[in-house]
Amino acid sequence: MKKILSLWGLLLFTSWLASAQTTPTINATVSGKLIDQKTREALVGASVVIKGTTNGSTSDADGKFTLRTGQKLPFTVVVSYIGYLTKELIVNSDKVVLEIAPDTKQLSEVVVVGYGTLERKDLIGSISKIDPAESKTIQAGSFDAQLQGKVSGVQISSNTGVPGEAVNIRVRGATSINADNDPLYVVDGVFINNNSLQTIGTGGKATSPIADLNPNDIESIEVLKDAEATALYGSRGANGVILITTKRGSFEQKPKISLNASYGQAKATKLWELTTGPEHAQLVNEWWINTGKDTPSLNRTFANRPFRPVTEGGRGLPEEQQTYDRLSELFRTASLSNYDLSLSGGTKSTKYYIGGGLNTQEAIIKPITFQRASFKVNLDQKVNDNVQVGVSNTFTRTYRNQARAGDGPAGGLLQAALHTPTYLSPVNEQGVLVGRAGFDNLTLLLDNYNVNSASLRYIGNLYADVQLLPNLKFRSSWGVDYNNYNESEYWNNLLISGSPNGLATSSISQFTTWLNEQTLTFRQKIGVKHSFGVLVGNTLQSDLLTRTYAEGRGFANNQFTQISSAATTAASQSWSKSNLASFFAKIDYNFGGKYLIDFSARADGSSRFGNNRKWGFFPSAGVAWRIKQEAFLQDVRVLSDLKLRASVGVIGNQNGIGNFASQGLWTGGSGYQSSAGTAPQQLGNADLQWERTRQFNVGLDASFLDQRLNVEFNVYNKYTTNGLLQLALPATSGFSNYWSNAAEITNKGFELGISSVNIRKGDLQWTTSFNIARNINNIEKLPNPLRYGSRDLILQQQGTPLYSFWVYKELGVDPQTGNVIYDDVNKDGQITVADRQIVGSIWPKFFGGLTNNFSYKGFDIGLFFSFQYGNKIYNHNRFFGEGGGARDAARIIFAKNNQRWQKPGDITDVPRPDGINVNNYRDGGSRWLEDGSFVRLRSLNVGYSIPKSVSRKIGADQLRVYASGTNLWLLTKYTGLDPESSASSDQNQQGIDLGTPPQPLGVQIGINVTF
Amino acid sequence: MKFKHHILWVSLALASSSCEKFLDVQPKEFISDAATIVDRSSAETAVRGVYSALADGSYYGTSFQSIGYLSGDNIVWTGSQSQVQEFINKKVNADNSTISSAWISIYRTINRANNVIDKVPAVKDAQLTDALRNQYIGEAYFARALAYFDLARTWGGVPLITKPTINPTDNSGIKRSSVAETYAQVLKDLETAEPLLPATTDRYRATRKTVWALRARYHLYQKEWVKAEEYADKVISDATNYKLTKPFSAFFANDARGTTESIFEIFYNGTTEVNSHRGQWQPQTNGGTRQWAPNDALVALLNNPAVGGTRSALVAKDNQNRWYGNLYYRNPASDPSYVLRIAEIILIRAEARAQQDKLTLGLADLNLIRDRAGIAASTAATKNDLLLAIENERRVEFALEPHRWYDIVRTGRAPAVFSLSEANRYVLPIPVQQLLSDKALEQNPGY
Repeated sequence: MKKILSLWGLLLFTSWLASAQTTPTINATVSGKLIDQKTREALVGASVVIKGTTNGSTSDADGKFTLRTGQKLPFTVVVSYIGYLTKELIVNSDKVVLEIAPDTKQLSEVVVVGYGTLERKDLIGSISKIDPAESKTIQAGSFDAQLQGKVSGVQISSNTGVPGEAVNIRVRGATSINADNDPLYVVDGVFINNNSLQTIGTGGKATSPIADLNPNDIESIEVLKDAEATALYGSRGANGVILITTKRGSFEQKPKISLNASYGQAKATKLWELTTGPEHAQLVNEWWINTGKDTPSLNRTFANRPFRPVTEGGRGLPEEQQTYDRLSELFRTASLSNYDLSLSGGTKSTKYYIGGGLNTQEAIIKPITFQRASFKVNLDQKVNDNVQVGVSNTFTRTYRNQARAGDGPAGGLLQAALHTPTYLSPVNEQGVLVGRAGFDNLTLLLDNYNVNSASLRYIGNLYADVQLLPNLKFRSSWGVDYNNYNESEYWNNLLISGSPNGLATSSISQFTTWLNEQTLTFRQKIGVKHSFGVLVGNTLQSDLLTRTYAEGRGFANNQFTQISSAATTAASQSWSKSNLASFFAKIDYNFGGKYLIDFSARADGSSRFGNNRKWGFFPSAGVAWRIKQEAFLQDVRVLSDLKLRASVGVIGNQNGIGNFASQGLWTGGSGYQSSAGTAPQQLGNADLQWERTRQFNVGLDASFLDQRLNVEFNVYNKYTTNGLLQLALPATSGFSNYWSNAAEITNKGFELGISSVNIRKGDLQWTTSFNIARNINNIEKLPNPLRYGSRDLILQQQGTPLYSFWVYKELGVDPQTGNVIYDDVNKDGQITVADRQIVGSIWPKFFGGLTNNFSYKGFDIGLFFSFQYGNKIYNHNRFFGEGGGARDAARIIFAKNNQRWQKPGDITDVPRPDGINVNNYRDGGSRWLEDGSFVRLRSLNVGYSIPKSVSRKIGADQLRVYASGTNLWLLTKYTGLDPESSASSDQNQQGIDLGTPPQPLGVQIGINVTF
Repeated sequence: MKFKHHILWVSLALASSSCEKFLDVQPKEFISDAATIVDRSSAETAVRGVYSALADGSYYGTSFQSIGYLSGDNIVWTGSQSQVQEFINKKVNADNSTISSAWISIYRTINRANNVIDKVPAVKDAQLTDALRNQYIGEAYFARALAYFDLARTWGGVPLITKPTINPTDNSGIKRSSVAETYAQVLKDLETAEPLLPATTDRYRATRKTVWALRARYHLYQKEWVKAEEYADKVISDATNYKLTKPFSAFFANDARGTTESIFEIFYNGTTEVNSHRGQWQPQTNGGTRQWAPNDALVALLNNPAVGGTRSALVAKDNQNRWYGNLYYRNPASDPSYVLRIAEIILIRAEARAQQDKLTLGLADLNLIRDRAGIAASTAATKNDLLLAIENERRVEFALEPHRWYDIVRTGRAPAVFSLSEANRYVLPIPVQQLLSDKALEQNPGY
């Protein structure tokens, strides 16, 4: 690596030699300073050009510039600076202070792009910028969960109401089966880990490492979507890139203290409707008698029905049964609080931001809580006129009380509370608390749950910027993402998992990414019209995951909870590493602000791939035409801007596959008789290579009425080849699958975003923004179908979208027999697995969001809806709960079963109770597959800013009080609690709702003060 | 500018050479499959890997075993996984997850055995004596024989794989052999294993005597009564090493393992080698789910002093007065999986003798088992009575072991006992995922 660094140095030196050549004839020398009109702060890196010439200068770190010219004073200079209105100013002395004002309009909005910033009007790619301040009050653990509906083309599903758990984010669909479909997250230049380190089983759920970031520390979020925008992240960007810029201070800014405090509560608005004890018993009897009629050899009759009088040896008549409510013991009104305190400011050469935050959120089911304490220090220091160094530091401790809220019997909260039949008493005849139906006793579970995790996270970046020449900048940056994830469980002997004498586990996972990056940026104007830039750079990245696990069983009593006290212990250790080396370059050219074009290329080498296939090359190109700048549109006043953009490129993906996916491996973990044993682990594939996604994007940006109405429209087509997947092998090979590049997947779609200032009159302002997107996903090529999820509910096969539901299609209930009529696809008169078919998928036909903001004097109101339409969700709770009595004492029966068919002529959608998985209650029946469309009022904020004249009296610059609500209203046909629920965080098992607490309705009040 | 170009290329070249090193990351938990069985020690660990495959939760751990007893008439399903009920109803669907995992894990065992069979003969290591080398190869042949036997009796004829898989294209697209060919492979492997293995006693690993025991069962299934009797005899005559434990529960209760009852049982230590079978049987108070349980009929039989006798130890009651199976109960989960025990060999001989009309001898064998269970001797007088008595004895003797389904199917008694006359149902469907990923595989008729 040293070699590379020193070579970079040489390269820089030679380029400096090459460009330092000419000096103009001097008639006047002007030295000046450039400042912001309002804040009076110096502006760094602004361009000052003498009008009508190419002679110009760039302001230095103090805002100072020098012009040497053949012209005589006075003359006119054109001052331009990113984010500011370009201004022509007359210079009439050799010492001047020039003032320019920020451009608050949309077109001049500064957008962070890969390795730089641009004004929106100069964008070629498709990039969405989000102001996190708008969504910060939404009750969720991580900032990404707060962005649902905010970004066009980005589908965000919360999956669960447990704060801080993994959120599903898809930027323009999903491109891969077994490699990751998550976007790349970049925080201040550091590629951070977004894969959960959780090892404890919580029923398919996983914690979100993104929840380690405090939303309050975030200044801006940019989502890069098309190939042009993500090109510089070539190997990582196939699923989009989310750039997070954290807050920094400003030079020469007096210290600013900002305090934000809020408190709120949350609760579920709806719970499952269950049968009462008598209803349950009635249904079981009916099932019993029905199956006796169907199969006489079973000898099931009215006389020996399960719920017959106790005197006859039964469980008592149905009407004698009690009803026990467990759900209300589990659910609670959760409280949450958030405190953020920050200090920012700067001197002439130093700027700083120091922030601290504490966020505590209870889940609406006991005993789950989420707590994040974060600390942030960003510092930037000018060493001299040409050198600036800085650091970004994020320290976080995220502590979770966890519990199994998903699938699985032992320790399952919703299994104990929801899936346990209501007629069963929580105590046995001796009055002792007992678990029923194979599940834990809820009270015991809630009293003894002891599962927690603490994530210590450090994300840091150290950079040095060197202005080698006015137009040549070198940057070197070192980044670290260190995550120490410490989990522990203690199951005492009252719980299933702890039987008979307690079980304790401890798992410590350490994930470290280090990153080194060099970039060299060159920007030159030639004449007034031509401007071009060159960026070259390289990145080296190394990811290391190590894990140490220990468990102990057999404790003296429940007072001892540490493994050191256990009778028997076991331990294990694991180690996994991957490296990535990348080189990238970009050339852009801007002709008169009218035609913009750029080319990017990135070459990536990954240690994960086969020996001859490690390197991938990913080129892309983009063009934009600002039609409005053409003479023929100059006079069309109503049109403020019109821009046509197009881009094409190839982007790679390798995230999420095994670090040693291409290698043939044997494991040493197949021991026998307590001695080591070896066995084949994985088949090698020396040809395993990068997954490649080719993406076309055409976009049109139009702005009307002095930029009061802005429209952005994008159409894209992504085609993924060499799709990484664990291709199924026939088991006769001794393996189930191997890593290959066998899949091809397409995502096509459009995105439309509209924002408008509806009213801007005096103190009154009303703005609206709306976005809608559609993505059509399809598997173009897949040699063997793959089945995922419980009961193989999801089938990935060629010709249908990813995550399609594979079910027995039900056509209804025959009013004569009460039996389900299944669609007999192959018409063989039998319903077999050959009759399973694809019925819908998790993909919505369209989705988006609508935001309205009103402000009048000190008052502000924000109203935000998110929606999606046309997606399917499998209500697996109903599958279990609507067993029609056949599961007897093993499961709850939902109230829906009260509407069952009972006699010929009954018109109903609930069939006659009979056996499980025989006919009417077949696994994978389509009647539990529901429409997951919804519209929700995601947030409503009402705030009041106290007039400065008043707030100043207590020394505050700004003082705002607010109240906000989250998920206040939901419109959906889904009969479960939350149409976004998903039991598993596995990307191939989405859309199956089982044992998932819903996203709650939340309200909170808060205060923001700035001193 | 030219100079600059050179610098660029030199820098890229240097960078790429150091990058090559940077991009070469080797695992620490695994080793390359290029050199796996190279000396005595690696041959030995690979053989343990074969046993580990037999011990897998999907094979003799739980899944495969459950096919044998759930499909009988002794077990009731109490949980939520309705695929379990398919066995009890004897209407197993091709998408049943138990058959899928069992199929995969049996072929995984075969591949591991094939690796040993293929590579151990070529190992050059002075420490690998001929005796050891033969033993390792013989053990692999035994494991493969057991695997094909289990495949044949569950699914019928299957693809016969006898070479290890090195590349992804190996051992795919092989058509199913006939049932006869599959059983022929079993016999061939057993015949190969027999002389290679030592005639020692090891209850956790295959020896020549383990081969005899499996051959006795094999010939019983083939209705080769003379041979079945002959091989059962060979084992039973080793009375110092193999005898019925008394009382019945002595071979499994109180953490017993490796008793004289056992000819072959799979070892688990409960920490790194876990037998999770207990989880399905034990009630919540013991940390299980009681996903399935002995049904009322079986509980009645076992608790009937004239039928079950001391075999009532197989069931117990939980704190909600529900019966549960108690053969697998240890915590940590270290229960052995019983593959071949002497009681079975005695009953095999009883049946083989009865079939050859050696009624007195057959009855004597049967009564050994009844006596051990503490119940009165049978007085079955005719061949049919004796065969029925043996069938009934096997039901309670192996109440929680994987025999009932295979017994009733092999004797052709399914229509009478299970009211199952649809012959297509006597073999299970090939798992649907296998059909999807291998076009050469054909489904069994009726599925």
